[in-house]
Amino acid sequence: MNRRLRQREAVNLTLLRLAALLLLAVLAFMLYWVVSRGVGVISRSFIFDAPRERMTAGGIWPAIVGTTYVSLGTLLISMPVGIATAIYLNEYAQEGTWNRIIRLAIRNLAGVPSIVYGLFGLGVFAALLRLGTSLAAASLTLSLMTLPWIVTAAEEALRSVPQSFREGSFALGATRWQTIRHQVLPYALPGMATGSILGLARAAGETAPILLTGAAYFLPRLPSSPLDQFMALPYHLYILATQHSSLTQVRPLAYGTALVLLALVMLLNALVIIVRSRARAKKTW
Amino acid sequence: MARLRLRTGSRTQRRELVEKAMQACFMLNGTVAILALAGILIFLLKESLPALVELGPGATILGTRWNPTSMNPGYGMLPLIVSTIMVTVGALIIAVPWGIATAAYISEVATVRLKEMLKPAVEMLAIFPSVIFGFIGLVVVAPAVARVFGMTNGQVALTGSITLAIMALPTIVSVAEDAITGISRDYREAAYALGATRWQAVRMVVLPAARSGITAAVMLAFGRAVGETMAVLMTTGDATGMPLTEVLGFITGPDFLASVRTLTANIAQEGLNVPWGSLHWQALFLCGLILFILTFAVNLTADLVMHRPAGGRRRVS
Amino acid sequence: MTTATTVAVPATGQSGPPRAGGSEAGPEPIIRVQNLSLWYGPVQALKNVSMEIRPRRVTAIIGPSGCGKSTFLKTLNRMISFVPSVRTEGRVLVDNEDILAPHIDLVALRSYVGMVFQKPNPFPKSIFENVAFGPRLRGIHDRARLAEIVERSLRQAALWDEVKDRLNHPALYLSGGQQQRLCIARALAVDPQIILMDEPASALDPAATAKLEDLLQQLENDYTVIIVTHNMQQAARVSAETAFFLDGELIEFDATDRIFTQPRDPRTEAYVTGRFG
Repeated sequence: MNRRLRQREAVNLTLLRLAALLLLAVLAFMLYWVVSRGVGVISRSFIFDAPRERMTAGGIWPAIVGTTYVSLGTLLISMPVGIATAIYLNEYAQEGTWNRIIRLAIRNLAGVPSIVYGLFGLGVFAALLRLGTSLAAASLTLSLMTLPWIVTAAEEALRSVPQSFREGSFALGATRWQTIRHQVLPYALPGMATGSILGLARAAGETAPILLTGAAYFLPRLPSSPLDQFMALPYHLYILATQHSSLTQVRPLAYGTALVLLALVMLLNALVIIVRSRARAKKTW
Repeated sequence: MARLRLRTGSRTQRRELVEKAMQACFMLNGTVAILALAGILIFLLKESLPALVELGPGATILGTRWNPTSMNPGYGMLPLIVSTIMVTVGALIIAVPWGIATAAYISEVATVRLKEMLKPAVEMLAIFPSVIFGFIGLVVVAPAVARVFGMTNGQVALTGSITLAIMALPTIVSVAEDAITGISRDYREAAYALGATRWQAVRMVVLPAARSGITAAVMLAFGRAVGETMAVLMTTGDATGMPLTEVLGFITGPDFLASVRTLTANIAQEGLNVPWGSLHWQALFLCGLILFILTFAVNLTADLVMHRPAGGRRRVS
Repeated sequence: MTTATTVAVPATGQSGPPRAGGSEAGPEPIIRVQNLSLWYGPVQALKNVSMEIRPRRVTAIIGPSGCGKSTFLKTLNRMISFVPSVRTEGRVLVDNEDILAPHIDLVALRSYVGMVFQKPNPFPKSIFENVAFGPRLRGIHDRARLAEIVERSLRQAALWDEVKDRLNHPALYLSGGQQQRLCIARALAVDPQIILMDEPASALDPAATAKLEDLLQQLENDYTVIIVTHNMQQAARVSAETAFFLDGELIEFDATDRIFTQPRDPRTEAYVTGRFG
């Protein structure tokens, strides 16, 4: 191989390497930026206090609570439906038209823009079903959005259960539901749970669906019923960053909010990774 | 002996009943997804068609003035549509080469240890909430763009494209990397046996063979970028005019240094205060419908491309 | 003058229909297969199979890969019904009841006809819970009765002595041969009359295989065992009667001795002498 070719080769490979390095650099920068500017704002009062003086001081506790409520509400609705759908797809209707149609629907639901979900939620849950802009409307909206993620995760968990368990169960005279209940679900449930937590983490970070369906900028009280509006971390960050009347003054609070949100999402993901690797180590089949 | 026949004994009957009930229950849950998708489409149509009928496509989809709350309301969405396409395409121009190069690096060049570092890094980038991307776009990218181009405010289409590009990167890298790694080892070995260098093998054999998967990756990223709200809402400014300018002095082209508003940002901005059921409301739903159709079409195409491999995409068994 | 000896063997190349009755007249057949044909979609996997299997003996089914022996076995406990495109013609009478008919209680059928698989597939539960699963499904929850059933089944499967003081240990910690005997115990726990075994020793080492074959000789006293095997020596060792399948057809069904020493059909002879398969 002559010298010119070797030089070209090195240059091209270096370009590839640079692309990857640039990605790492961007990630590192983003982490550094949020952490370094946010960490100074974090304090016990920042986490646990309510905002004061028109948001220029105080904390973000209501937003943390609101995010928790709406995420749990979402999980409560989408987890059973998603798991049941996955069971149907994987255990009852493995082939055939029903299966294909449901899968098509799931795939397309996953591609719908988040703001369109918000619009739909506003029109159907808030307006049509008269729930108003509320935790209920927002949770229902987010549930639709998380449904495809939960179904995918649950199906993966079901597929990981060896077919031989089912065969052994059927040969002993178990019905399909008995087999699912005793020889499939117990082993798929951990994977389904961790997959749902990942879905929860994604839902917690979403702004667009809740923006139109229930998130509020400032509420004097914590929500006491599903029909109340709520504050939420991502929405709070958005307002502090772009809509507040004294933007520069609240900038530090925005960084603090961003850090709390990021930490929440990262922590949930890390939890799932740890739980999954422990479970994999213990797995006996 | 009738021992093996289905008895009408209560235990057998109860068991059969439970069995049928459970199957029905699961199937019903399965239909939720179908109902949801159909429901979204139907509701979007129901709420937006009156506006389309009343105003006509000329004043809405092809109209150029969006000002629904003025004395002389305008519901023209063309600037919004153009802005959406512009910011998205701009993002892909940045993200596609970057993403494919990264995917090629991870798959073909990186050592195992580097791979173990890079793949989690890509996934970590993917789990950042979009509002944080928007925030960083606002406080880091926008000032940088303003400084470089001598503007006072950096909230312009270019900023949006850059932010969106970083957001789209993980999608492109993951899907493309899957496609590239899935190329049968035979192709590479044949290339090397013929004396190809690493780069030559990648560029001339592996990447072309992964063509369909890479195309799918780009389309998926396009779909996600078109549908993104927060990142563009916070970075592209707010103007609702047509973002066009004169390029090279005589051609009209996209003005990336203009403030723009995408379809998604539009819905987010105005959806909060719009009177329920008004013409303005219906126009916003029309924006939603356009978005839905756009992303649906893109995802459908990506699906087709992914499942119809061109050049023998075969996994090594 | 030569005395023409009447030879019961038909002319070479042409064997009559295999004698459905097997080797000789004996006890009433427990399974009667009558003109069974089976299709996977357009492909015919079983072609007009008729045979009668007698109780309390080991019947072996041999044949090359893809000849339909596993399909045939799985029809006997309707496990084949899980494949959506399956279609059958003919009848399979178990205890004088056609099990292919729609009114059959599959749970009752699988209590009557148990199955052991090629690769041992104990559930990832304890040894006790594995064996107790079948009885629990049938409504037995009394701990004392379950313990009794578990001990009886494990004894019958020649596993009791090896596991009696670790019944609560995970079944997956057992060796391959022990796991397979556990699966046999599990099948025995529901008190079947017939046990189907689909190449039960093919995943086991020679020592475990020998133990399994000894077990089969013992089980013969109380159960009807039908074993599919690709190992001809094994068939010769354990079974009283052997059926030879080829391409979905039952070619020959006779006493094991005769199948291996004086096969009637040239195809049988070719297979048992190792010329193909």
